[in-house]
Amino acid sequence: MVTEEEIEHVSKLMKIEVDDHKEYVDKVHAMIDYFDILDSAGVESEEISMPEISISELREDEHIPFDEKLIEKLNHYKGTYVRAPKMSS
Amino acid sequence: MNLKISALDYVQEVKTGNISAEDFVSKTLEQIQNVDDKLHAFLSVNDKAVDQAREIDKKIKSGQKVGDCFGMPISIKDNMCIKDSKTTCASKMLEDFVAPYDATVISKLKQQDAIFVGKVNMDEFAMGLTTEFSAYGPSKNPWNIDCVPGGSSGGSAVSVSAFECVASLGSDTGGSVRNPASFCSTVGYKPTYGLISRYGLISYANSIEQIGPLTRTVKDTAFMLNMIAGLDPNDNTTIDNQNQDYLSNIESGIEGKKIGIIKEMMGEGIDPAVLSATKDAISKLESLGAICEEISLDMVKYSVAAYYTITATEAGSNLARYDNLRYGYDFPLEGYEFNSYISKARRNFGPEVTRRMIIGGFVPSAGHAGKYFLKALKVKSKLTKEINNAFQKFDFLIAPTVPILPFKIGEKIDDPVSLFLVDINTVTANLTGKPAISIPYAISNGLPIGIQLIADSNNDKSLLQAAYALEQTVSLPEVPI
Repeated sequence: MVTEEEIEHVSKLMKIEVDDHKEYVDKVHAMIDYFDILDSAGVESEEISMPEISISELREDEHIPFDEKLIEKLNHYKGTYVRAPKMSS
Repeated sequence: MNLKISALDYVQEVKTGNISAEDFVSKTLEQIQNVDDKLHAFLSVNDKAVDQAREIDKKIKSGQKVGDCFGMPISIKDNMCIKDSKTTCASKMLEDFVAPYDATVISKLKQQDAIFVGKVNMDEFAMGLTTEFSAYGPSKNPWNIDCVPGGSSGGSAVSVSAFECVASLGSDTGGSVRNPASFCSTVGYKPTYGLISRYGLISYANSIEQIGPLTRTVKDTAFMLNMIAGLDPNDNTTIDNQNQDYLSNIESGIEGKKIGIIKEMMGEGIDPAVLSATKDAISKLESLGAICEEISLDMVKYSVAAYYTITATEAGSNLARYDNLRYGYDFPLEGYEFNSYISKARRNFGPEVTRRMIIGGFVPSAGHAGKYFLKALKVKSKLTKEINNAFQKFDFLIAPTVPILPFKIGEKIDDPVSLFLVDINTVTANLTGKPAISIPYAISNGLPIGIQLIADSNNDKSLLQAAYALEQTVSLPEVPI
């Protein structure tokens, strides 16, 4: 069973702030509780298969220039730098 | 001017000079103006569309080479980038985001002289199956405006169904093309994973999502695939389809083909009208010479839980980039510390995206991954084995696209688990990478029912042949708009 504290802790880690906490916690709770059905799938011994792409099939690791200066599109671009919020001291 | 024609008929009519691209596009924009207040398929309309169509007419008149679309008006789900156009993902977070480049599918369609009439509505960041989670309000089903049109590519399906375009592109992560296609009575296609480049599609769950067309006919879907499928150096998950022509031999029929009826998609919770339509479709296929038998895929009952676990995890990672510094809306920095600024800015995500990000942080986290995320990946592996075994015996699998009829707007929005289960018949194709198509099949009490056919990977061409055969057995009433 997932606890309200666990959900709140994860929200903080995901940098998510919500107003109506109970609303979110209840629905997230219901969703995660539904995932308990996975316990009865009997897949403990199953291998996880992942697609593999060999390095030779990847494109060359080369810089491809873009025709516009994307940095200039940022909201807080100040000509020679991008402004960000202060880090905590 | 008949706006109800198929894409192939449009091309023929323009080619032979019976209609001009300018007239058709202009009438299409009028149609949008006339019906979209009621249906809300569009988030933005291209005000240069008529000028662009006029340019194509000039090319035709002067004998220049013209692309295969001949100015065909197409709508695009608002999670695909069109250079210098807004791409909002139906989110307040990207309200003013203007894409700096074209998605590969957009470049390919531009080369073929398609006209993009506008960007269409969706659930925010494609998370949902009704469009009720769009930050700009839901789209309405043209068959009954009190009902949801399905989603997340709801705007795509509505725009095709209500003649606001000839074809549309959506994206399908767990049924997001096929579900609205079924609810709005259009064809909806989820290709083999990797057949269509995802470069320029705003990521939700990369390992399973695919772009797919929504069209009026199966032949139109084949026509669209011919233009947008194939290898792309910008997306290393794309596969080489050898420039396959999906239209050629589409009328080959299905005589002698073996079709498996997926037991787990025909049972508990299915609407009797949907069950009856599916049985009818099976009889029709048998009368065309197909051999239909029941097949069991045990893992289907765990597929929805596995799907939501995997997609939430990938979404949690993909959406970390929306910190309002790299992308975002106008929100001043003053007075905030770094982390509190990002948390505050991310409040602009809607409730469903917020919930899924919380889940996406929880299910793969230390202490919980074994119970949720890793188990979900194991279900995915076992389901893939089961379906691969099924394709040893069968050419295609069949099931209703959605087990229920389109429901009322607001009816399920407060019950996330009941919404989850609407996806039960569509997520299997995504988790296993198989191609799947929804074909409009019946209307019950004024509401559409779609039938889904699934094929083995890379058998997209034969899947379209089977879908075409089924489509030819159907005659449906016109949408009441």
